[in-house]
Amino acid sequence: MTLAKTWKEKLGSSVPEAWSREIDVFETQIELRKKGKIEEKLFAETRLRRGAYGQRYDNGQRHDGATTQTLVFPSGEITKGPTTLWDAPGMQRIKVPFGRLTADQLDRLADLAEEYSDRILHVTTRQDIQLHFVHIEDTPDLMRRLSAVGITTREACGNTVRNVTACPMAGVCKTEAFDVTPYANAITFFLLGHDDTQNFGRKFKVAFSGCKDEPCGLANFHDIGAIARTRVVDGQTRRGFELYVGGGLGSVPQNAQLFDEFLPEEELLPISQAMSRVFARLGEKANRAKARLKFLVKKLGIEEFKRLVLEERAALRPDPRWTAFLADLHALDEKPARPAGSLPAVGLAPGFQAWRASNVVAQRQPGYVMALVTLPLGDLTSDQARALADVARKYTGDAIRTTADQNMLLRWVSEADLPALHAALSAIDLGSAGAGTITDITACPGTDTCKLGISSSRALAAELGRQIEASGLASDANARGLHIKASGCFNACGQHHVADIGLLGVSRNVNGHRVPHFQLVVGGQWTRNAGSYGLAIGAVPSKRVPDVVKRLTARFAAERQGEETFAAFVSRIGKKTIRAMVEEAQILPSYDQDRSFYSDWGDPREYTIEDMGVGECAGEVVPIVEMTLAGAEREIFEAQVLIDEHKPQEAVRRAYSAMLEAARALTREKNPNLGSDAGEIVSEFRKHFCDTQLFYDPFAGAKFAQYLFRVHEEHAAATSPEAVHQLVEEASLFVDAAHQCYARLGASLGGPTGAIAPSVLAPAAPAAAPATTGSGN
Amino acid sequence: MSSIPSKLQLKIFATSPARPLALETFIPIFHQWIKDHVLQELAIDVANYAHVPKGPGVVLIGHNCDYFVDESEGRLGLLHNRKRGSLPAESRLEDLVRRTLHAAALLEKEPALGGALAFSPKELLFRINDRLAGPATDATFAAVRPDLDALGRRLFSGPFELTRVGDARSLFAVKLFSPGETAPLAALLARLGGPPVPDLP
Repeated sequence: MTLAKTWKEKLGSSVPEAWSREIDVFETQIELRKKGKIEEKLFAETRLRRGAYGQRYDNGQRHDGATTQTLVFPSGEITKGPTTLWDAPGMQRIKVPFGRLTADQLDRLADLAEEYSDRILHVTTRQDIQLHFVHIEDTPDLMRRLSAVGITTREACGNTVRNVTACPMAGVCKTEAFDVTPYANAITFFLLGHDDTQNFGRKFKVAFSGCKDEPCGLANFHDIGAIARTRVVDGQTRRGFELYVGGGLGSVPQNAQLFDEFLPEEELLPISQAMSRVFARLGEKANRAKARLKFLVKKLGIEEFKRLVLEERAALRPDPRWTAFLADLHALDEKPARPAGSLPAVGLAPGFQAWRASNVVAQRQPGYVMALVTLPLGDLTSDQARALADVARKYTGDAIRTTADQNMLLRWVSEADLPALHAALSAIDLGSAGAGTITDITACPGTDTCKLGISSSRALAAELGRQIEASGLASDANARGLHIKASGCFNACGQHHVADIGLLGVSRNVNGHRVPHFQLVVGGQWTRNAGSYGLAIGAVPSKRVPDVVKRLTARFAAERQGEETFAAFVSRIGKKTIRAMVEEAQILPSYDQDRSFYSDWGDPREYTIEDMGVGECAGEVVPIVEMTLAGAEREIFEAQVLIDEHKPQEAVRRAYSAMLEAARALTREKNPNLGSDAGEIVSEFRKHFCDTQLFYDPFAGAKFAQYLFRVHEEHAAATSPEAVHQLVEEASLFVDAAHQCYARLGASLGGPTGAIAPSVLAPAAPAAAPATTGSGN
Repeated sequence: MSSIPSKLQLKIFATSPARPLALETFIPIFHQWIKDHVLQELAIDVANYAHVPKGPGVVLIGHNCDYFVDESEGRLGLLHNRKRGSLPAESRLEDLVRRTLHAAALLEKEPALGGALAFSPKELLFRINDRLAGPATDATFAAVRPDLDALGRRLFSGPFELTRVGDARSLFAVKLFSPGETAPLAALLARLGGPPVPDLP
């Protein structure tokens, strides 16, 4: 048996070169952190930007129901971030842009869940896939194996542009203006790693919808929500977007505001870039609880925000990528595997029609349908994933998308194949009906794995689904279409604000004991791109939530007037009526009478909130200059290793690259349009830092800057071993001088003394809030 | 020299339970095991996937090892997953089996289950949870077969078979089957030297 190969060797050129390099860098950073050579905050943000997130108990403390026990990990006190122990298992978030997966990608995800996680793939409410209980040292190989099938985890967490989401029906939907897929794809890879998206104070979420009235794109609660529109100009149909900005859920939900009624398609990328710059420049950095774009838009007002964005837009250096993708908007089109057909009239299996009624949607293309695969709590096993990949290959032509409802969607299914498809799905236990109905309850990870979870949203959702099914409400025509969504805390990853019935995990003190509760939030709107948010009625003890929800839905089922929405029903019967139900449920037996109320669903331990940790989702606000200078230092280290490996020319190139990186990091603060060409970097660095003497060392003057100029003029040529050593040494001194320069110039460079330069807005930075920012994916 | 990689799995199958056992029954048991350090290993958390049909069931997540009350293959069993650690190759297989049998024996005796759960001594499913170190190939089978044979001879009192299962995409897997084996788990464990050594940092 050949055991010598590493995944890196085995995968070879199947990993794109740039992605391979990024992962190598991350692997080096892991090694450096283990040796204590990278500061823990910096490493935390670095790993978050690779999608490697913390998990519950990663501070090494776990409450066992009676006392808090210390988890004694073998690596001891080494950390991978503040209060995050090295050995503690973590979550790996995997971005799936607009939810689009190929069968090969699904196969690969299945393998990774098996080998590095617990054989479960979890679909999130932002169309990502998450694997839990992953060790940090397994992540580089995991990332390599993903990269080999075209998936990057870059910027899946941290203060970055998160997974770009889109309506999973894009391209085949009857109500869309046009297919948003190529636009979502273009913005994903345009903003990924872009200089202008690296210096945010918080995460940034983008969503696309093909139409305004359906819920699928959920544009209303995103930082940028783009709804496809067409307009006839001079007799020609033009494409564009009704663009919304500054929406968000979390503890302070806010509806997005209209930025532009019709943003022409060619302006989508530059306007997004300009918005990124404004957000990076003016967004809050010190107080993370106020750092999302929604707060900036609110503070400035939409008109001023728009003015600043347009001003920034005018100053952008033109980029051919802005419009290059428009030349081929069909590059991502899917090709069906089978010819269109009609549903057979006879021979349909029991259960088929019920499944078809809830899980099948007709496509715009005649003879084809979409089939939703209902995933309980968004979970499927590795075995199921591989089998589903085979089903997709056979019936759909590789067209799979994840959905914000935590399901999967198979597209381009010939209607003639529907019975066979259902049979194939049923054979792998994925043929359940009820997608998008009252039993298909959305839930964030909650206390199962999330550090911020207060109550067990997943276990509640599972129990609630069971009880609703048993009650018969699932088959009631009025109640069946209701949406229920549960979040384990106020960060709202379960999107509870936009459900008919939302549940928000909280805790209450009852009879001297902590009791898990859920706030009952009613009347949110899932349709019209999550058009409005529900309101909290009161907190219900977790164990009583199913009773209250069943009573409420049973009343709706019995008293619904015509096509009345749940929100309208709530308005009609009055919140006081619902409040009375809640108050009745709040009266609990004493601890000694019935202890079951004092533990949560699915967890027999006596309930506590002591297991809550510090949220990492916001990451650490590390200015981009610091991040980049740390990257340059790492390159110096790598150059030294290359010398040891007798690779002098590679060492020289790496050292030169480190100097350029450091110079660029400083210079971008003076010229945000700076490109990546070496000549331009050196020229601009000379202009802004050498001619002005800003880079001059108090004692050595221009000496260190000259190191860069010389190596650049000599085209990084060093031949003798001594010359290579000297060059690497000089590169090291140059990078150190860049650090010193940065420290000297401080805030005027967005420096270490005060986040980013307060240029236009200069509000006094509020005191840092507790880091209870969300884990929204 | 042994060719056994470090990331391994072993599943021991349950015989038909004396009464229906909901997977959730195992959640409080595993929590108690963490609290009382029953396995003498670093156990971290309990994951509940009872809602997923034929899935990983209920999992005791540990640092070096996980224990799944598992329903994959459509059959209830205890799956032991060795995911890290620095055991020498020669002792990996034995350690894997001892930990599996030990945990299974503890479950059989678990008061909360009231004797409803028993495991079959006749059959074990071995996997290499590492497609790089042990791909599902004939070459892998040839490499690990001597170790599995040696294990079978020590573990079972009578003849046994080794049968490869799964396909090229699956983890490398071999079924060990000894149709005449009737010994209790404690006896099997004793043949390998008894309960495993503590594995705590």
